[in-house]
Amino acid sequence: MTQTVEQQVFEIVARLGGIDIATITPESTLKDLGVDSLEAIEIIFDIEEHFGVTLPDRDPDFDNGSVQGLLNAVRQAIDAAATPKASAPSAA
Amino acid sequence: MRRVVITGMGAISALGHDAPSCWREMLAGRSAIGPIQAVAAEVLRAPIAAEVRGYDPLAHFDDKRLALLDRVSQFALVSAREAVRQSGLDFETDGLRDRTAVIVGTAVGGETSNAEASRRLYGENGRVHPFTIVRVMANAPACQLSIEYGVTGPAFAVVSACASSNHALAQALQMIRGGSVDVALSGGAEACITLGLTKAWEAMRVLAEDTCRPFCLQRRGLVLGEGAAIFVLEEYEHARRRGATILAEFAGAGMSSDASDIVLPSQAGAANAIRRALADARLAPESIGYINAHGTATPLNDPTESRAIREVFGAHADTIAVSSTKAVHGHALGAAGALELIAAIGALNEQAVPPTANFIDPDPQCDLDYVPNIARERRVDAALSNSFAFGGLNAVLAIRRAE
Repeated sequence: MTQTVEQQVFEIVARLGGIDIATITPESTLKDLGVDSLEAIEIIFDIEEHFGVTLPDRDPDFDNGSVQGLLNAVRQAIDAAATPKASAPSAA
Repeated sequence: MRRVVITGMGAISALGHDAPSCWREMLAGRSAIGPIQAVAAEVLRAPIAAEVRGYDPLAHFDDKRLALLDRVSQFALVSAREAVRQSGLDFETDGLRDRTAVIVGTAVGGETSNAEASRRLYGENGRVHPFTIVRVMANAPACQLSIEYGVTGPAFAVVSACASSNHALAQALQMIRGGSVDVALSGGAEACITLGLTKAWEAMRVLAEDTCRPFCLQRRGLVLGEGAAIFVLEEYEHARRRGATILAEFAGAGMSSDASDIVLPSQAGAANAIRRALADARLAPESIGYINAHGTATPLNDPTESRAIREVFGAHADTIAVSSTKAVHGHALGAAGALELIAAIGALNEQAVPPTANFIDPDPQCDLDYVPNIARERRVDAALSNSFAFGGLNAVLAIRRAE
């Protein structure tokens, strides 16, 4: 059975933040969870590697934003990666 | 106590290939940040940098010498030659070679040669050039200066990331004061704009995509720069006896460590370094007219540095002109403090403060006078230059007008 995106993100946050996964809710902010900025950078890097996506640099605000904000960004990035890019018209 | 003065300065940066042109551009607030050339723009989120442009190594070095010189050592040599020329010193006289130190800061040393070695090692036939070690080693700029001038006193590199220059200059100050040498060639050099390092900075998510906007509400982070600045430091009586032109008195230095976080800056650590610099220089806080701030334009540095300045200076903080010239020459890491000392010396000698360029709107968290966008004439009898490195390593220099 495949894990949901939410579960996978929660696991990465729990592992790199050194926190109990049961304490994570979409409403919690990374700050509430005790995730410092260096851990946040590492979490984003791990998420990018795990899903093969690139997250935007500053939106949402990973220092103060919620886990839900992070999840939204991850889902958007996954969707963007899955949508085939419109091919450029070939030169005549 | 033996006093120390500055009798020569040289620089190379994105702003220009000598100290006068670097200073002129700082004063004009003309940013040299532009599209990155050393790295393919399409692999970068933030494809901008403050690179040294129009630089021809063969105009400065022959082939044989060049083979031994990483870009970082070339920059150190180019700026040292300018500084020594200006000082008028002749190292062949009066045993001066033995009484001179060379102390040069760099954060990453021969990064370009290191990248080239990696490219050959992992991407080509696995053979690495035999001069890689002598080019890559972080002490190479210091060695090359000592060889250039036949200087046989103490010579070494100082490494403290973005505070390397200031730590190096502080060390040179103390060696002259302490009497172990009469002269020092000191400053910093950096040539850090490689694929590996730009990607590593990108991964930390601290690079701005637009430009560098220190202390301003719209700041997005730092922009990498490169270059070098080297100074001739000299014991005051030694300089006076030979009738040297004194650019500034190097009055003092203050150093501290945050001993807390590897990346987050600490107000207490910064304030300690500033206080120690004032005490070491025996300068009253009220005598400081200009502070060249560390001012990286990261979200955290600028408010923390502003609070540290306010903590030390109290109400007088409002009357000090504070600017970050990183807006125009980028963050040259281990060369940053040395390039910024050019700005502080310029402010003393021309009684004009270089602006914080690229400034749009003030940030309520940063409430000092940052001299936005336009240089200002004002009285500057003494100035500070702040450098705060990752790892919480802080070094602040204090200079005052030559009498």
